[in-house]
Amino acid sequence: MRAVCWHDKLDVRVESVPEPKILNPRDAIVRVSATAICGSDLHLYGGFVPGMVKGDILGHEFMGEVVELGAAVINLKRGERVVVPFPIACGNCFFCQKAMFSLCENSNPNAGMAEKLWGYSPCGIYGYSHLLGGYAGGQAEYVRVPFADVGPLRVPDSLSDEQVLFLSDILPTGYMAAENCDIQPGDTIAVWGCGPVGQFAIASAQLLGADRVIAIDRFPERLRLAAMKLGAETIDYSEDNVLEALKELTGGRGPDACIDAVGMEAHAYHNIAYAYDRMKQAMLLESDRPVALREAIMACRSGGTISVAGVYGGLIDKFPAGALMNRSLTIRTGQTHVQRYMRLLLARIEKGEIDPSFIITHRMKLDEAPAAYRMFRDKQDDCIKVVLTP
Amino acid sequence: MPRKRNLMRADRLGYVVGGVALIVWALRRPGLLRAGVGGLGGWLLYQAYTGSNPMFKPLGIHVNPQPAQPHIAETLVVEEAVTIARPREEVYAFWQRSENLPLAAEGEVELTREAAGEELAWRTMRAEKLMHFGSLTLRDAPGRRGTIVMARLEYVPAGGSLGAVLARVTGRSPQRLVADCLRRARALLETGEAPTTTGQPAGRR
Repeated sequence: MRAVCWHDKLDVRVESVPEPKILNPRDAIVRVSATAICGSDLHLYGGFVPGMVKGDILGHEFMGEVVELGAAVINLKRGERVVVPFPIACGNCFFCQKAMFSLCENSNPNAGMAEKLWGYSPCGIYGYSHLLGGYAGGQAEYVRVPFADVGPLRVPDSLSDEQVLFLSDILPTGYMAAENCDIQPGDTIAVWGCGPVGQFAIASAQLLGADRVIAIDRFPERLRLAAMKLGAETIDYSEDNVLEALKELTGGRGPDACIDAVGMEAHAYHNIAYAYDRMKQAMLLESDRPVALREAIMACRSGGTISVAGVYGGLIDKFPAGALMNRSLTIRTGQTHVQRYMRLLLARIEKGEIDPSFIITHRMKLDEAPAAYRMFRDKQDDCIKVVLTP
Repeated sequence: MPRKRNLMRADRLGYVVGGVALIVWALRRPGLLRAGVGGLGGWLLYQAYTGSNPMFKPLGIHVNPQPAQPHIAETLVVEEAVTIARPREEVYAFWQRSENLPLAAEGEVELTREAAGEELAWRTMRAEKLMHFGSLTLRDAPGRRGTIVMARLEYVPAGGSLGAVLARVTGRSPQRLVADCLRRARALLETGEAPTTTGQPAGRR
């Protein structure tokens, strides 16, 4: 079969590889009908995530048709159309029982590696480094899905692939980011990063009752989408000082909650700390550039919440702990517990409350993946989201 | 604060030889690098003298100078714990199958103590030689969260505690193997299978 394989920093290739097999009784094999490149795949593409091995198959946003089932999977049938959540979760452990699926204790065969870096291990994730299990991903014609009796969600034929594909990751991720803000009537929510997760965080904050949403980015096409499609107010950080602009927009108090939908490769202007982070990251003295996170903490209203959806991998510098402590701020974060949100979000899609396909700007063939990664990374052609079909 | 002796006897000899060698090399010619290396040699000699290495604690290296098994002077101790969301009898029955015990593949396992539902102890022999010995203690987790399993394993490391440090740094230490074994047991007991990627496709490596 054809699969998108990681080879090195800025080097992904489409290669012929053997088809996946059932390895465990609770496995399924899914024939992929649609898959997407995630913003977090760009961290792998850029070489910022440790534990990648030449030849690893990428992709954690995918859906398709069940073609093979392990002996223990009794709730799915061949031929059923499913969306697969990116966290691999057993459904039995302490965390799964508490619906914290991305913390599943039983799905990462390389948990010892992750423990060295992070203290304890989160769940395994498709195509996201050997630190998170080294599972082959879904940017391929076929993919093996472990714990298939827990993760995959059957979707109705009345909805197109493009309408349900993002249930696999970014729609629940944006939703959880908004849910973590504990939104109250009258609240203003600021969202750093208007990529796909940022757009869904804006839409979700509105669904959950936010009065105002302020979107922060520098790419005009993203800001336009947030303003035109979702009705958010916008700040272009390449032109304005974000802290001052937010203070002004919120009557001198700051947003009630701030969402970081950027993560470890943040950019900034008018910011000395940014030059410092770039330098330290280049010298491997700091793994992540936390410009957006720092700014979100400094901008947030006292007693407010910073909700972190952007991916971080390791260590950061100059963390404003003083602001956090003295101003009673709360940080909430985590890899998304996708399984917890899929059904309720599918219901919202069916009712027409949200149509996630609005973020798609490019539809390409799987074979064009290397060009798609390049385009997405360099934001060429106003690229916001790429969907690949085999 | 008095330091606790934590170097193994074999280590102390190695530290003396190594320390003297480094100092001799440092004294052959002047130079900044050689001065630094000489300092390192002095530090090794000092550790040999005190019998204590301050790096062992942060590295999690624990020497037992008086192991319970006969004919062994001292051992390294590994302790790991896991909470398994299954009842105690079931967890105990799983461990009674000796192939499930930590590092069992390294030799012939012989159960030395069995207290049903509470404790299992064993030793592993290979060609009449004791490889390691250990015990598992089981108790109920609070709040009906299942069973806490505490594992203790003692072994004589190849290459003394320096070998243990190297094994730890490369991630192939008995500590890691015991932890992996406990994790695998939890996965098998809770989900009915152990997570794996062995046999999955990949591009040209």
